[in-house]
Amino acid sequence: MTGSLLPLLVVVPLLGAALGALVPGSIARVMLVLSPVLTTAGGVALLVTHGDTPVLAQDVGGFVAGIAIPLVSDTFTAVMITVTGLTTTACIVFALITGEARLRFFPTLVMMLSAGVNGALLTGDLFNLFVFIEVMLLPSYALIAMTGTWRRLGVGRLFVVINLVTSTILLIGIGLVYGVAGSVNLAVLTDMDADDPRFRLAVGVVLLALTVKAGVVPMHGWLPRAYPATSATVMALFSALHTKVAIYAVFRIHQTVLDGAAEWMTLLLVLFTLTMLVGAYGSLGERMVRRSLAWQMIAGVGYILVGVGIGTQLGLAAGLFYMVHHILVMGSLLLSSGAIEHAYRTNQFVGLSGLMRRERLLAVIMALGMMSLIGFPPSSGFFGKVGIARAVADLDGFQIWLVLGALLVASIGTLLAMSRLWADVFWGPPMEEMPSRGKGHTEPPVVPDDTRMRLRTLVPAGALLLMSLAIFVVPGPLWELCLQAADGLLDVTAYVETVTAS
Amino acid sequence: MTVLPITVGILVAGGIYLLCQPGLVRIVFGITLLSHGANLVLLSSGVSAWRGEPLTGTADPADAGDPLPMAFVLTAIVITLAVTVFMLALARIGHDDSTRHMPDTGEDHRA
Repeated sequence: MTGSLLPLLVVVPLLGAALGALVPGSIARVMLVLSPVLTTAGGVALLVTHGDTPVLAQDVGGFVAGIAIPLVSDTFTAVMITVTGLTTTACIVFALITGEARLRFFPTLVMMLSAGVNGALLTGDLFNLFVFIEVMLLPSYALIAMTGTWRRLGVGRLFVVINLVTSTILLIGIGLVYGVAGSVNLAVLTDMDADDPRFRLAVGVVLLALTVKAGVVPMHGWLPRAYPATSATVMALFSALHTKVAIYAVFRIHQTVLDGAAEWMTLLLVLFTLTMLVGAYGSLGERMVRRSLAWQMIAGVGYILVGVGIGTQLGLAAGLFYMVHHILVMGSLLLSSGAIEHAYRTNQFVGLSGLMRRERLLAVIMALGMMSLIGFPPSSGFFGKVGIARAVADLDGFQIWLVLGALLVASIGTLLAMSRLWADVFWGPPMEEMPSRGKGHTEPPVVPDDTRMRLRTLVPAGALLLMSLAIFVVPGPLWELCLQAADGLLDVTAYVETVTAS
Repeated sequence: MTVLPITVGILVAGGIYLLCQPGLVRIVFGITLLSHGANLVLLSSGVSAWRGEPLTGTADPADAGDPLPMAFVLTAIVITLAVTVFMLALARIGHDDSTRHMPDTGEDHRA
């Protein structure tokens, strides 16, 4: 793969989105499946290329370097494109199985979303990061408003307002960066004096906006409110794409532009460990499967970003490894929950009981997924947490105890929350004999005796889980890729040379 | 050059005040003010004094304004306009901000 092919990763889904609005539904759905498959293929091709060429770059628009819009890819980008592409494929297959993809404009919106995601991952320029994040958010507003329960409308407002205000902060931050540095090109910004307080403040505003979008405590409250109100498919898509793109940008900007400035590391570590703890224990208050999982998404954000807080090669690689694991496992759990909803029309704890005897395959998939979230073998979560625990050794003094303690306590919180979910949904009397536990509007729905999930609704969740298990069995190749990506973040000379030369 | 920062301050303060009010329409107005503030910040990141048009042949590059912040602002205005329209539509559908009660959207709520 050469640099001149990079724009295709954005152009193909974007064109697909435009065509998808015009052609009949059946053709649009074929394009809907093809687009993430092509994205994944592009990601894999990039991974292969980065084996010997560390960075690929392409200036779009034919302007001179420095003014042109650069699209850049390194190992980090390629890993992200591949993993998000795979998860998007699984979500789309699930949407096709449940019939959600038949909604008018669903194919168009999802393809536009993935164009925005690919663009945000590839761009080497802060302002285009803002533009691509908006390209990603606009279809998301529509997706939230058209799928899910009636709560989506009130919650859609919350999602739009939070994201729009955050985007405005991001824009102000980018304006400040431009005012101080005279450029918003990441490769040019690496030359800036990272000790200049004005520059740090400007980049700090950008990072603040990105951490709100990522859902870092104390700016996390919108996420577990907004996401569960949409459908399971859309929530799985958002969980794999939205917060992860923001986290990707934090990794990239913090490492390339600020060279991982040292003195606020303690503050960052405190925030990120708080995110782990609040997310892990927040689940305990929820009485719906997907709301419970939404809090675990926040916990995952904490685990991933601790990698930035540690800031060494091991730390960054461990964060990235955890991100890959978290995208796959969260996708699997959310799509399993979607399969429950498809068959039983509810994901409230009161409406579900004794699923372990009723739905054996689902029980196996969700049990393994939850064990992966907690960090038990045999799952990718085990190595994810081992990686972070190993990287902690690069810290000093009380920071080691802070991160290790939070890692342990948060894992126990996840264990508690997941055992509660398990006990309420999978144990208990069979659904037909379930006593009416509900009061008022939470009266459990009447489930016919012969209601069972269709096997195919579990295929996407199962496929994602198999990938997570494969990472447990053979963690080596992914870990090598993560180390290579971390090297690229720490040593930016190849990045800068390729971008300024192209 | 104190006019610009003061204007930005007033716009942002007004925007945040309106964001804290109930009702989506007020929030939309608040966001509009806030994004105007952001646009002025972007403009002031170039040179805010009077400069020539940044077009080839019309002004000497030494006297021309910085075109990049203008391009930024133009993009930002378009995006904000699109989202504002969407939010006004949401304000029309939902009528109130309740996430506890079902809004009357005229559609089937069985799902």
